[in-house]
Amino acid sequence: MSEVSTAGRTGLFRPLSTAGAVATVLGALLPWATFVFNEGPYPAKATLQFFDAPFALSGFRLHLMLFGLAALVVGFTRLPGRGRVLRALGWGVLAVSAVNTVFLISNGGGFGAVSASDGAFAFGCYVGLAGGALLVADNWHASAEPLPRWKFSLPLWAAWLVLLVSFGAVLLLVAATLTAGGLGGAADPYAGPVFLSFLGAAGGLLGGLHGTGLLSWIGELSEKHRLFSVLVLLLCALGLPLTSAGNEYWMTVAANIGVYAATAIGLNIVVGLAGLLDLGYVAFMGIGAFVAANLSGAAASALGIHVPFLLAAVIAAVIAGIFGVIVGSPTLRVRGDYLAIVTLAFGEIFRRAAQNNIGGLTGGANAIPNIPQVELFGLEFNNPVTIGGLQLPGGVLYYFLIVLLVALTMVAFGNLKNSRIGRAWIAIREDEDVARAMGIRTGKAKILAFLTGATLAGLAGAVFAHKTATVSYESFQFLESVTLLAAVILGGMGTIPGAVLGAALLFVLPEKLREFSDYRLLLFGLALVLIMRFRPQGLVPDRHRRAELVAEDVELPAAPKEATA
Amino acid sequence: MSSAPALQAREVSMVFGGLRALNNVSLELAKGQIVGLIGPNGAGKTTFFNCLTGLYTPTSGQVLLGGTQLPGDPAEVTTAGLARTFQNIRLFPSMTVLENVLIGRHVRMKQGPLSSLLHGPAFQRGERAARERARELLDFVGLSRVEDELSRNLPYGDQRRLEIARALATDPSVLLLDEPTAGMNPQETEAARQLIFRIRDTGISVVVIEHDTKFIFTLCDRVTVLVQGELLVEGTPEEVRGDPRVVEAYLGKPPEEVQAVVEEITHGSAEGASGE
Ligand SMILES: Nc1ncnc2c1ncn2[C@@H]1O[C@H](COP(=O)(O)OP(=O)(O)OP(=O)(O)O)[C@@H](O)[C@H]1O
Ligand SMILES: [Mg+2]
Repeated sequence: MSEVSTAGRTGLFRPLSTAGAVATVLGALLPWATFVFNEGPYPAKATLQFFDAPFALSGFRLHLMLFGLAALVVGFTRLPGRGRVLRALGWGVLAVSAVNTVFLISNGGGFGAVSASDGAFAFGCYVGLAGGALLVADNWHASAEPLPRWKFSLPLWAAWLVLLVSFGAVLLLVAATLTAGGLGGAADPYAGPVFLSFLGAAGGLLGGLHGTGLLSWIGELSEKHRLFSVLVLLLCALGLPLTSAGNEYWMTVAANIGVYAATAIGLNIVVGLAGLLDLGYVAFMGIGAFVAANLSGAAASALGIHVPFLLAAVIAAVIAGIFGVIVGSPTLRVRGDYLAIVTLAFGEIFRRAAQNNIGGLTGGANAIPNIPQVELFGLEFNNPVTIGGLQLPGGVLYYFLIVLLVALTMVAFGNLKNSRIGRAWIAIREDEDVARAMGIRTGKAKILAFLTGATLAGLAGAVFAHKTATVSYESFQFLESVTLLAAVILGGMGTIPGAVLGAALLFVLPEKLREFSDYRLLLFGLALVLIMRFRPQGLVPDRHRRAELVAEDVELPAAPKEATA
Repeated sequence: MSSAPALQAREVSMVFGGLRALNNVSLELAKGQIVGLIGPNGAGKTTFFNCLTGLYTPTSGQVLLGGTQLPGDPAEVTTAGLARTFQNIRLFPSMTVLENVLIGRHVRMKQGPLSSLLHGPAFQRGERAARERARELLDFVGLSRVEDELSRNLPYGDQRRLEIARALATDPSVLLLDEPTAGMNPQETEAARQLIFRIRDTGISVVVIEHDTKFIFTLCDRVTVLVQGELLVEGTPEEVRGDPRVVEAYLGKPPEEVQAVVEEITHGSAEGASGE
């Protein structure tokens, strides 16, 4: 860390950053495409001429304009964490510019779309890319600056107000992200790039806010007022149907994300807290789903009995938990790589068994279709509902149910993490021998981790079965396990927002990027490699792990294996 | 003698493949005593601790704590009241100082999985009590200022003290310290000596491994010398210091040279364990 730039603290004027900011603004005003595509005009009026209509900016060009102006202003202030803010804005500009450039080139048949042809010129993308690159390069060493810490404390009402406003903003951001680019497919040929571009802008925005120390402060505030935060968060989540995402389609997408988020939180107990690599985790969700399907009274189910939903969900969770214990038992003997192989094998066995309709319980290749909808308190969950004068779209009840499920899993995770057993898990992750020497029954603790994770997955599976109405082995393959694992690692091991964010990203992307579905795995892989390279602690890192990994940049700790020296 | 000794090891032997690391080593520790364990490098001192705490299963021999035989499992041993520190500091590096001590409280806490899940009033009470006790111990070893610091960020001497606090958190009747002053400067070493006396004063019996013989002879009530897995001499510091066999086997070299060796050892282990 010797070549640390001190530019962040000295000198008010930053020529390179300012140039980057100006370039970004210019890039937003320049045309981006030389012609109108066959599918129709590219969003955000990409063919707009220089300064023709500076106030008609929208979409990604509006984002660029705002980022450029923000960078310009921040560049001239003594804002603490200025370098971090500028760098985050720079990354945002780069991401937005890159996404749109790549799409314009690939969709417009080459560089002609983004240079000069037929008397038209379009150099906006290069100017935008250069602006982002300048901002990033000039603030490359910003992480050497300490993250500003906001220390002032607020009276209770003000703290609550801050939390209320923050979570409200999160809700709006979530709704905007979810709907960005529209439904995709034939209806909107540009859904993919618009969504990715929006994601880049949202990332830049959050990164910039984080650079000022604001997000950490809000995080601390919400930890201090935990109960209030949980309630407001719950309220915000329940408010999603009232936003622009309030139609049946987005409710379904959100519900699907929720199911996987709940599952990912369960996996986070096993992997993030106890440090046990589980490569077959989705099998537990599958077990839960098949149990619920068989108890649902669906015509194709072998048992043909109908158990009320809540009871069926509990039974599904318990049976999944039992399998968790069975799979977890070998962890008493094997460690690390071997455990991964055991779980991988279990996942495969489950899939094969389900594929071959073992015991007639899984429907094999025919799956179990026509699972009846959930009926609770006289409500049919597929129908739209009207509360007072409020018309809520169909699927909203499932969405509410799943919000409750996620909330339940979150509370379970949070409570366990901050308890005797949670600390024991973390101790096992850190140093199993010493954990034993401190009196922790490591075998019991590890099985308990598997049991808890599997139970939560089974519960999520039961909801999943009713939500999708069809349960097929195809939903529970190795790829899903890997995706869940990726969600946990991407979001941040051992944290709740991390798992939710990771699950949301990894399960909404395929929805948005239908036209790229062949490249889904490739994109995952790429995203993971990039994350691991540039942000190994995940998007929302655990307080502890963050410090650990930051410290590891400086010095590699010796990892003694034996108890003897 | 009315009560049983705090700790009694009877003819403990440990064989690794062809290597006899310990050969019929016995040790007795009275209540409230501090016993020193010294010997050249590779004498088997750490191996002896590992056998006592169940980390290794001795090839033969018995270990009794307060008159009852210890089970051969580290977790059970700790529960029974025998705690230890490690020669090459082994804290939980990415847990905070307080959380490290709370791990020590693990065996004395009652909360099961269900109460951990629900965080009911009984859970809250237990958790509060555990934190209170952990803070007391941090205060006892002088680390209360840094309870929210990650343990990996502590300076070396503080890490050793934290390991002691973590061991004390298990409410032991006997505490085993493996080179507690390795890598410390003279002031820290003196503070460590005072700390060990204070631990003894709370009624805990202590066994200390140390290369610094001056430290051992001024700290301990009795001293055991181990050479190549064999118990060479056992006695009061005066007896041991004067014993010609000890002088030959262990202090055979002139004092300056011994000091140099000690320096080397302490520095060597300091680098290996702390990563500072
Ligand atoms: N797990 C093991 N497997 C094989 N040999 C071992 C093992 N543990 C210790 N030994 C050997 O036993 C002997 C005693 O080692 P031990 O670490 O107990 O010595 P020590 O007295 O603690 O030395 P030091 O003062 O250097 O810490 C050494 O020869 C060592 O190599
Ligand atoms: Mg040793």
